[in-house]
Order: sequence, then C-alpha cells, then structure tokens
Amino acid sequence: MLLTHLERVLNYWPMLLRGVGTTVGISLASLLIGVALGFAFGIIRTGSNRWLSRALGLYIDIFRGTPFLVQLFMVFFILPSFGLELSAFTAGVVAMSNMAACFIGEIVASGIRAVPAGQTEAAMATGMSRAQQLRLVILPQAVRIVTPALVGQFVLLIKDSSVVSAIGLFDLTRSGWIIVQNVPNGLIVFGLVGLCYLVICYPLIFSARRMERRAQAPVL
Amino acid sequence: MIEFSGVNKWFGALHVLCDIDLAVTRGEVVVVCGPSGSGKSTLIRCVNGLEPYQKGRLMVDGIHVGQEPRRMRELRMEVGFVFQSFNLYPHKTALENVTLAPIHVRGMSRVAAAERGRALLERVGLGDRMGSYPHQLSGGQQQRVAIARALCMQPKVMLFDEPTSALDPEMVKEVLDVIISLAGEGMTMMVVTHEMGFARSVADRVVFMDQGSIIETATPESFFTNPQSERGRDFLGKVLQH
Amino acid sequence: MLGTLNTRVMLEYLPELLQGLQATLLLSVSGFAGAMLIGIIACALTIQPLRWPRAIVIAYVDIIRATPLLAQLYFLYFGLPRIGILIPEFHIGIIALALNSGAYVAEIIRSGILSIQRGQVEAGISTGLSYLQRMRHIVLPQALRPTVSPLIGQAIVLVKDSSLLSLISVVELTRAGQRIANERFMPFEGLVATATAYLAIYFLLKFLAELWSRHNSLPDRA
Repeated sequence: MLLTHLERVLNYWPMLLRGVGTTVGISLASLLIGVALGFAFGIIRTGSNRWLSRALGLYIDIFRGTPFLVQLFMVFFILPSFGLELSAFTAGVVAMSNMAACFIGEIVASGIRAVPAGQTEAAMATGMSRAQQLRLVILPQAVRIVTPALVGQFVLLIKDSSVVSAIGLFDLTRSGWIIVQNVPNGLIVFGLVGLCYLVICYPLIFSARRMERRAQAPVL
Repeated sequence: MIEFSGVNKWFGALHVLCDIDLAVTRGEVVVVCGPSGSGKSTLIRCVNGLEPYQKGRLMVDGIHVGQEPRRMRELRMEVGFVFQSFNLYPHKTALENVTLAPIHVRGMSRVAAAERGRALLERVGLGDRMGSYPHQLSGGQQQRVAIARALCMQPKVMLFDEPTSALDPEMVKEVLDVIISLAGEGMTMMVVTHEMGFARSVADRVVFMDQGSIIETATPESFFTNPQSERGRDFLGKVLQH
Repeated sequence: MLGTLNTRVMLEYLPELLQGLQATLLLSVSGFAGAMLIGIIACALTIQPLRWPRAIVIAYVDIIRATPLLAQLYFLYFGLPRIGILIPEFHIGIIALALNSGAYVAEIIRSGILSIQRGQVEAGISTGLSYLQRMRHIVLPQALRPTVSPLIGQAIVLVKDSSLLSLISVVELTRAGQRIANERFMPFEGLVATATAYLAIYFLLKFLAELWSRHNSLPDRA
C-alpha cells in the first residue's frame, strides 16, 4: 500500500520538479529586487532626514505587522481595480520583494548602526561626502555584518513563496496540492514536498550558521 | 591658521567649552593638556567640525567653521585628524586606508595615490606592512598608518586627539617619534596628549585646560618649571609624580 | 482609494470580523502555549547528555526551519486522516502552529541558556549553592531575560502565520475578511479590515517588547 502510493507519487516527479523550478525562480527574483530595495530602505532609515525615515518606518511596520497572505491578496485582488492585471507569478514577485525589502531594510539599518561611529568620523575627517562615506567605508562593513541575516532572509523568502500557491501559482506546494488530489496520501506527498524544500533550504541554513559562527570570532 | 574667538559649547546643560580664545599660527605646534573631562578633545574636534559649537567664532584657514556648510569638505581636506582609537577601516589594507581619500576626495589617480601612500608608509616605518589589514597590525603600527592616512591628503594642519592613550606603553615612542619628526618639518599641529615629556620637547606653546576653559597658555619651559595657575600646579603635581 | 472605502459594509460584517478576530486570538494563544511547551521540552533535550534524544530534536528543529509552514500544514491536513486521526481543522491548525513555532522557541531558549558565561555557574558553585539554587538564582534569571524580546517576536510571527489556516478553511480573521470579498465583491474592504486588526495586534506586541527591553536591558558586556 505504502509502496504503491510512493510509486504513484514518483510518477508525478516532473510536476514536482517544475514546482521546484518555480519556487526557486520566484524566490530568486524577489530576493534580487528585495535586496536592492532593502538597501535603499536601510540607508533612508539611518539617514539624516527624520521625517522620511519615520514615514518609511511606518510603511515597514505595516508590512511587518500583517500576514503575507493578506499582502498577497491585496496585490492580487486590488491592483487589478487600478487596471493592473497581474499574473500569479508577477503578483507574487511584487508582494514578496516588497515584504523582503521591509525586513531587509531593518536588517541593513541595524548593520549600518553597528558600524562604529569612529569609522564615520574618520571618513568625514578626510573630507568624504555622505555618499562616499556610505559607499567606501560604512556599507562594505555593514554588508559583512548583515550577510548571515540576509541568507536567513532568503530562506524565509523561499518558505513564504509557498503562500503564493494560494493564488494559483504552480510552485512546489501547489504541485503537492495537485498530486494529493490524485494520490490520496498526504503523508507521502507532503513528506516529499517537504524533502524538496529541505534540499533547497538546508544548505542555506547551514551556511548562514557557519557564517554566524565565524562572525562571532573576534575580528580585531 | 586657526583662530578661536569666544567659542562656547554646551552638551545639554553641561558647559564643555567656555569662552575659548586661541590662535595657532602657521608652523606652530600647540600641545593641549589638562585633566580628563577638561574639554581638550572637544576643543580640537571643533577645529574640523566633528563637533558643532554654539557661540563664538572659529576660523580655520579662512573658513568660518560651522557657518559655511558647503566648505566643510574643503576644510577637512586641509585638516588631518588622528584619533585616539585609530579608526582605521578594517576592510581595507594599510595602503588602501592611506589612499582611499586621496583617490575619492582629491580625485588623484590610483597610481599617483599609491605612490604617495607607499612613500608615507615607508616614512612612518611600515614599508613592509602595506598589504596588512588593521587587525594584523599592533596598536602602534595602526596609529602610524592612521597618521600616514591623514598626511596623504597633504593637509595644512594636523590634529592629534590623544594619539598614544590607547597604546601599550612600549608602543608609545614609535608614534611620538613620527609626530616629532613632523613638527621638525614645520607642520602646523594641535596635539592633545598626556605625554608631558613629549609635550615639553615638541611644543612651541602649551595650552592648559580645565573644566572647559583655557587656564593658561605658556611656553613649555615656563609651564613645566613654573606654572602660573594653582590648577596647573596641581595637575603637573599629579602627572609628574610617576 | 480611502474615499471609496465602503465603511457601511465593513460595519455590517463587524460581527463576523470580531468572531474571526476572536478565533485568531484563540488559535494564537493556544498555538503559542503549545509552542512554549514543545520548545522548553525540546531545549531541555538538547542540553542533556544523551545522544539520541538530542539528535531527534536537532532533526526536528532543522526540518521545521527548512520547510514552509504551509507545507507542514498540508502534511497534517492531508496526512493525519490517512493514519486514522480525524480531528477538526481548527485543532490541526493549532497543532501545526505549535509544532512550527516550537522549533523556533527551542532555539531562542537554547541561545539564552548558552549566553550565560561559564564563570557565572562557577561562581555559584564556589559559593556553595546547590544545583537547584544555582538554576533558580543564577542560571534561569539570566537565561530567560534575553529570551523575552525574541519570544514576543515569535508570537508576532505566529499571529501572522495563523492566517494560513484560512487555506484549510478554518474561519479566522483572514477568512472572515474574505467573506466580504466573496459575498459582496469588495476585496478591498475585507482586506483593509483584516489588515487593521492584525496591525493592532502587531503594534500591541511590539509595544510590549519595547517596554520590556527598556526596563530590562542589561548593561552591555565589555
């Protein structure tokens, strides 16, 4: 019984693989946009313009404080009423990269704040502009500080992408959902789906942990 | 070159600089000393605008500090600053630390900047450590790189904020030697330090501060042998006991 | 957009929304209680000397962290009936939330305990405190203090995660909001009402976390 189920599920292997491809693709696309936006957010959050920083802080809180599913529905059901018809994939990328930017923005901001004030002073004392201070001195150090957290964020992003299956994206979770309609054994089907996620995410979790351990070793 | 007239600064209710009047002329070496918390670091941090002040006027090389925000970068290019805690960039090698600002702020070519940077590192005795990262260097070596970093901008003035306070005793001399040789070349300098022997040998004038005010200004000879103020005598008594 | 927000419909559905909110709170509170229980047990198993229980807990934590909650939820939803366990979706939801957050809670508590310096325990031993006394007066107070803020953070995650239970037809806040969308074709009204309720919970928990860290932050160790 178990074996025949397993065999039947394995017949759907191409479907699972396709799901893996979509999951990785949508996560990567959102990661790239999310990192770019997130760095901009982090710089604004630590910048000298108080009001802009506060306004952005509120924006970030709104997306950190609501479930991703609700945000996704917002993008998917409401943007069309402005005449923007989005595919599940695009809606997913929009919602995911926006949310990622909010989380990454706070990570980057904390990284920038973690760079000692003496570094800014040293850069300032040699006449660097604010942009030069950021680009040449502060961000390179902040990036090192936040890299493990960014990798962790990528794992979260991959996992959150499963939610996009709720608006019909054919990702890994959705493929499991379809297979389970045909092979009624949720343990095997979602066990296998889980295994696929594990294969994708575990190396990232592992490397993030290693980086963290290395970062804890004294640098100076 | 540097002229304080009636400069005042407050940290909240704390009056950290009271009516500072002080002029430093070209080529002069002024040592600022005084007990901790006397405002001496704040004083020289004002000179390149790291600290704002609230009242009075501070002119440096013709620029009214704090009143001409557009010219602050110009000012800082002409004023080198050496920090107590070095503040080297940990992600850059010694040579990169030295050449970063000349390349990006002065707009020098990489080749020219590297050439000047190498010469300066040689000069501070670190010709063999150009490729080392700060964490691979001792405190004394790091501070010498920091001095080279400031010099590489070819400043008209050098400011030293307790450059040897964070160093182990055996490294103090190598840093002071570099500063002494700079003085010998006629660099305009303000040095905050607790090293009284060094102050005596290098200073043209000694400024003694306490509680945010300049208590006395004198030649090293007269300050160290015959301080005019009670507080100056007190301070010297404590420092020179060792 | 706000101008066209149909507040009348939102008010009309207020009872449903409040019921949804109540369900979300109930799910979250029981899920979090379960997560704390699982987390504490799992953590206790990782710091004891026996190897097998430790390996099992590590595997559990890693599997949970490397797979999405939704897949875990479907695993239980489609899987439990398979092995003859027929329980309502609401309870499946609580189990999934507790199992999921339990792994994170275990990690949070573990890092709290690991953050205690060896010297602290040694100081306790050298002044003659018994094991229980050391635990009570030295280890636990120091270990638990740094876990409070991350635990509140995990509670925030759990509340948001509970929205996924709407996908296995548990009627909670998100699902209640969807009713306005489905019955009145007003997705915006439903989602705004839902999001507002989640935000209220979020800001409340965030405020608590800030309050706590303001009053309990230890001076930084040099």
